[in-house]
Amino acid sequence: MGRFIVQRLLQAAVLVVLVATVVFFLGRLTGNPVDMILPEDATDADRAALIEALGLDRPLHEQYAIFAFNAVQGDLGTSIRYHEPVMVTFLSRLPNTILLATPSMIIAVLLAVPLGVFSALRRGRMLDRVSGTIAVLGIATPNFWLGIMLIFLFSVQLGWLPSGRMGGPDHYVLPAITLGTFLVAGFMRLIRSSMLEILDSEFVKMARIKGLSEFRVIWKHCLRNALIPVLTLWGVFMAGLVTGAIVTETVFAWPGIGRLTYEAVIFRDFPLLQGVIIMAAVLIVVINLLVDVLYAYVDPRIRFG
Amino acid sequence: MRRLPWLPIAIIATMVIMAVFAPILAEHSPTDQSLIKRLKPPFWVEGGSMQHLLGTDQFGRDVFARMLYGARISLIVVGLSLLVGGGVGLTIGIVSGYVGGKLDAFLMRLVDAAFTFPAILFALLLAVTMGQGLNTLIIAISLLLWANFARVIRGEVLALKQRDFVSLARVHGCSPLRIMATHILPNVMNTFMVLATLNIGVVIVAEASLSFLGAGVPPPTPAWGLMVSEGRGRITSAWWLSLLPGLAITLVVLAFNLFGDWLRDRLDPKLRQL
Amino acid sequence: MTYKNMLARLVVSAALGIAAAPTLAQDNEGTLVVAIESLAAQNFDPILEGRPGHAHYHAPLYDALVGFDLKEGGIGPGIAERWQISEDGESWTFYLRDGLKFHNGEALTAEDVKFSIERIMSEESITAQAASFRRTIKKIEVVDDLTVRFDTDGIQVYFPTLFSRAIFHDGTIMPKDYFEEVGADEFRRNPVGSGPWKFVRSVPGDFVEYAAVEQDHWRGKPKFNRLVIMQVPEQSTRMAMIRTGEAAIASITPEAIGEVRSAGLKLVSVPATAQAIYQFYGLFRDEVADSPVTDVRVREALSLAIDRKAIIEHIMEGEARMPFPFATFGYSLDMDVDRWRQWSQEALRYDPDRARELLAEAGYKDGFTLSFANTALPGTPWMVDVGLVIADFWEQVGINVELENYEWGAFRSLTQGDQPELVGRVSMYRTAGRPIATTRYHAAFHPEGAHRLLGIPGKCDEVCQKYTELNEAIEVERDDEKRAALTDQMIELTTDSWMAVPILEAMGYWAVNPELVGAFDPIPGRHELGDVFERMPRPEQKPWE
Repeated sequence: MGRFIVQRLLQAAVLVVLVATVVFFLGRLTGNPVDMILPEDATDADRAALIEALGLDRPLHEQYAIFAFNAVQGDLGTSIRYHEPVMVTFLSRLPNTILLATPSMIIAVLLAVPLGVFSALRRGRMLDRVSGTIAVLGIATPNFWLGIMLIFLFSVQLGWLPSGRMGGPDHYVLPAITLGTFLVAGFMRLIRSSMLEILDSEFVKMARIKGLSEFRVIWKHCLRNALIPVLTLWGVFMAGLVTGAIVTETVFAWPGIGRLTYEAVIFRDFPLLQGVIIMAAVLIVVINLLVDVLYAYVDPRIRFG
Repeated sequence: MRRLPWLPIAIIATMVIMAVFAPILAEHSPTDQSLIKRLKPPFWVEGGSMQHLLGTDQFGRDVFARMLYGARISLIVVGLSLLVGGGVGLTIGIVSGYVGGKLDAFLMRLVDAAFTFPAILFALLLAVTMGQGLNTLIIAISLLLWANFARVIRGEVLALKQRDFVSLARVHGCSPLRIMATHILPNVMNTFMVLATLNIGVVIVAEASLSFLGAGVPPPTPAWGLMVSEGRGRITSAWWLSLLPGLAITLVVLAFNLFGDWLRDRLDPKLRQL
Repeated sequence: MTYKNMLARLVVSAALGIAAAPTLAQDNEGTLVVAIESLAAQNFDPILEGRPGHAHYHAPLYDALVGFDLKEGGIGPGIAERWQISEDGESWTFYLRDGLKFHNGEALTAEDVKFSIERIMSEESITAQAASFRRTIKKIEVVDDLTVRFDTDGIQVYFPTLFSRAIFHDGTIMPKDYFEEVGADEFRRNPVGSGPWKFVRSVPGDFVEYAAVEQDHWRGKPKFNRLVIMQVPEQSTRMAMIRTGEAAIASITPEAIGEVRSAGLKLVSVPATAQAIYQFYGLFRDEVADSPVTDVRVREALSLAIDRKAIIEHIMEGEARMPFPFATFGYSLDMDVDRWRQWSQEALRYDPDRARELLAEAGYKDGFTLSFANTALPGTPWMVDVGLVIADFWEQVGINVELENYEWGAFRSLTQGDQPELVGRVSMYRTAGRPIATTRYHAAFHPEGAHRLLGIPGKCDEVCQKYTELNEAIEVERDDEKRAALTDQMIELTTDSWMAVPILEAMGYWAVNPELVGAFDPIPGRHELGDVFERMPRPEQKPWE
């Protein structure tokens, strides 16, 4: 177990370095932050002075060495745009995204579980197809468009809910639905296929022979096992969540990580972009590792090594 | 066995016909402007005319023509992205699964990295680096796709490797390359087809999302996602600009997904995690 | 507020202590909520912010040394009531208002002005004029509490304009004592200025909140108690917020004007905030000597092919105007406004037949292929649409346009150095609404300017040299009439070259919910409303017509 965790941690470190390196070099190909800072009619001399002040005139490998040296010590640098440590900026926005992602995940699971279970039970029949259609609707509608339509309907026309921004519980409804429906289809497919597999297994036959009620067999024993792959594939959905968050946070004026990262790209705020990506990667890796460890406890069949 | 899903097939066929016969079906050019005739509603709404069946946009371009040519662009994006992204994923999946060992470990870490890294940001970075364009878009969407293909295909290959016919080929002295090409590849094609079909929706919606973030197909090229994105500011005054392409996207993505579900059950019922 | 009121409050405040004062201040109440597309860096240190920051959310908090002409646009009194150039022309003296106070109660004096401008000139500063200040300001001297003198490097006729938010934003005055007492970090967290609004808090990426000052203010006493400026990137969401009343004012682009009108909202169009233009980079370079656009007839034909009125009516929803020559406006100083208004009607007319004639004369009867770099500068996303339309107009006179769209950051880096990617192409661009043309012309045409459209040192033809001479003469000419005559010559020279061609004069567009804020007038030329909030009435005070 210990060896497994160490091994995974090492792999994770390599992964983070890989991601950081790609972002470092790709980011620097996209332009220069001084062009976004200086006024439209700044001269080449003004520009050169600012580039020097920001240390962007040094050779690329030197910049990379400085960045790597500092990053290893936990210093991700200072945001060019916000003039504060990248870590501070990241941590001030992270809670907002978590606050939005949590209800979105809950909505997704609440929708996906019954759809997945019913569609597995009625495989190939009408209900299966209807469930599939409902689940797919979430990914079939572009996220931003769904968000704008929801705002138009529920805020402008009906006046039931606010159009956006953080605030009381009512502010969470529309963005959480927009982001949540995006994940339903993936969850539902997973639950459906693992339910199908489990329904075929000896274990279910045994439970039935033992005389357990059909309800208990399906909703307790099968579902619990069917949810395991959802857990393990959590990482796959994280990327989807981040993608969805960029768009959802833009539409609903939500001051989270997604919007921050997007603006870092547009503004060429290299330290911020690198920092956010690295932090996000670390976060995902750590969560995945926790899930794996948890999984090992839940399902002893998994062997490490 | 499920019956053939007629409705999805009909929707997909309609899209393909629109794309292929766009020049014949469209009376107008999709890019010619006429400012005087701008923002005309579809024919069934007051103020609309049969001359512009689905109305005109803010430049006075014919929405019907743009929908037709948009279908074409969308299919091109879908086809090329699946070819590139799916192809890379397929290759990596087969090699990784069959060769195994250190190479497998390395390639799977790459796949993990791809999952960790939000591909949409990669796409954005690319768009600002290379400039907006069809090439950029296809590369960006391929980056979004390949890892999932690689992961699923590798799983399949791992199972295939244990099968007798592969062992037999190995005993007979076939080179690994040959085994991969002639024994493994044909056996994962079903899975690949199912994956590809199910990912068409992902591609179409990704095109729309990237347009929203300013990294999609460059205007004035017509593409459904771009049309939805461009029209979103006029939902109240000229609803047809974003609603029509939006509905088209939803219908087509639904159709491809339902068709993919059917294909999965038919070709590869054991396939999980899709 | 009347003097009687103020006196009464003074007495009451003295009796009850300061805490009682706000509760008695019945003349301002409610919160004014404004939604804009970006809060940029949301930093409150004037030396660390670019233009949007200053004009949107520094302006409520800080005063500038030089202010606005609120009616016509351009500069007017600010913290300095008046200013004067010395006999020899090499120094400027500014005379400050008496009795100004910062939000912490300290008096604003010449010492604060000296401190602030020196800070803006410092190496740490990234403001627009920091570099040019370092070159032009030799010394700042405090003459007395209300008088400050700047010694300049040579004659600088436009010197005072650099301190006004009408043009740049480098005249922000900060409190010297407070800054030195608390240090830069604390100052950035809790900024203190002398404007009509006090800083309350700032939530990054979300909003900034202000409270109205209690005492009277020379810029006007706020009619609202609180001001909230929030960031809402998506326009559809901003429009929804105006309709539901979540915001009173929102920045918009022309595409939302239809909805503003149909939903019974008010549209405020700030006149003459920018000019959309197209320009040609590096046509003086040898490698493009054969390019059709090096022929001035071809460049004039391109302009004649554009139906500007149609673009104004259809793409800009009627909320734009025929432009003056490049970078000039109705409020421009030192030029013959009537002459150039007439020129605009004639020279910028829509005449596709003449365009075809000119093309044929130049030997391009069957057209040619023109590469077009389309882009939109921050704050004016509609430029992309205007670019698409002019490309179509060019196609209509037989030119084959190869259009490429650039994200702004990507385009901006192409204008550096030898500009290889842009040479020989036509590029979309914009110029902001500023009353001094010469500074902007320097950026566009001077061999050492930002764009260098006419030539570079060592490769400066006759027109380029003539322009350089005129530019240098204008900058040191102290006689108003002579300077105006020189400016007109400069405009004539460059308009005849068809190198930087105006397409339309744009406005700044705001959607307003008339039930949440009363009728107000923006400042011509200044898109952002940072200097207008304090004069906005509540709806019952001054309803919209």
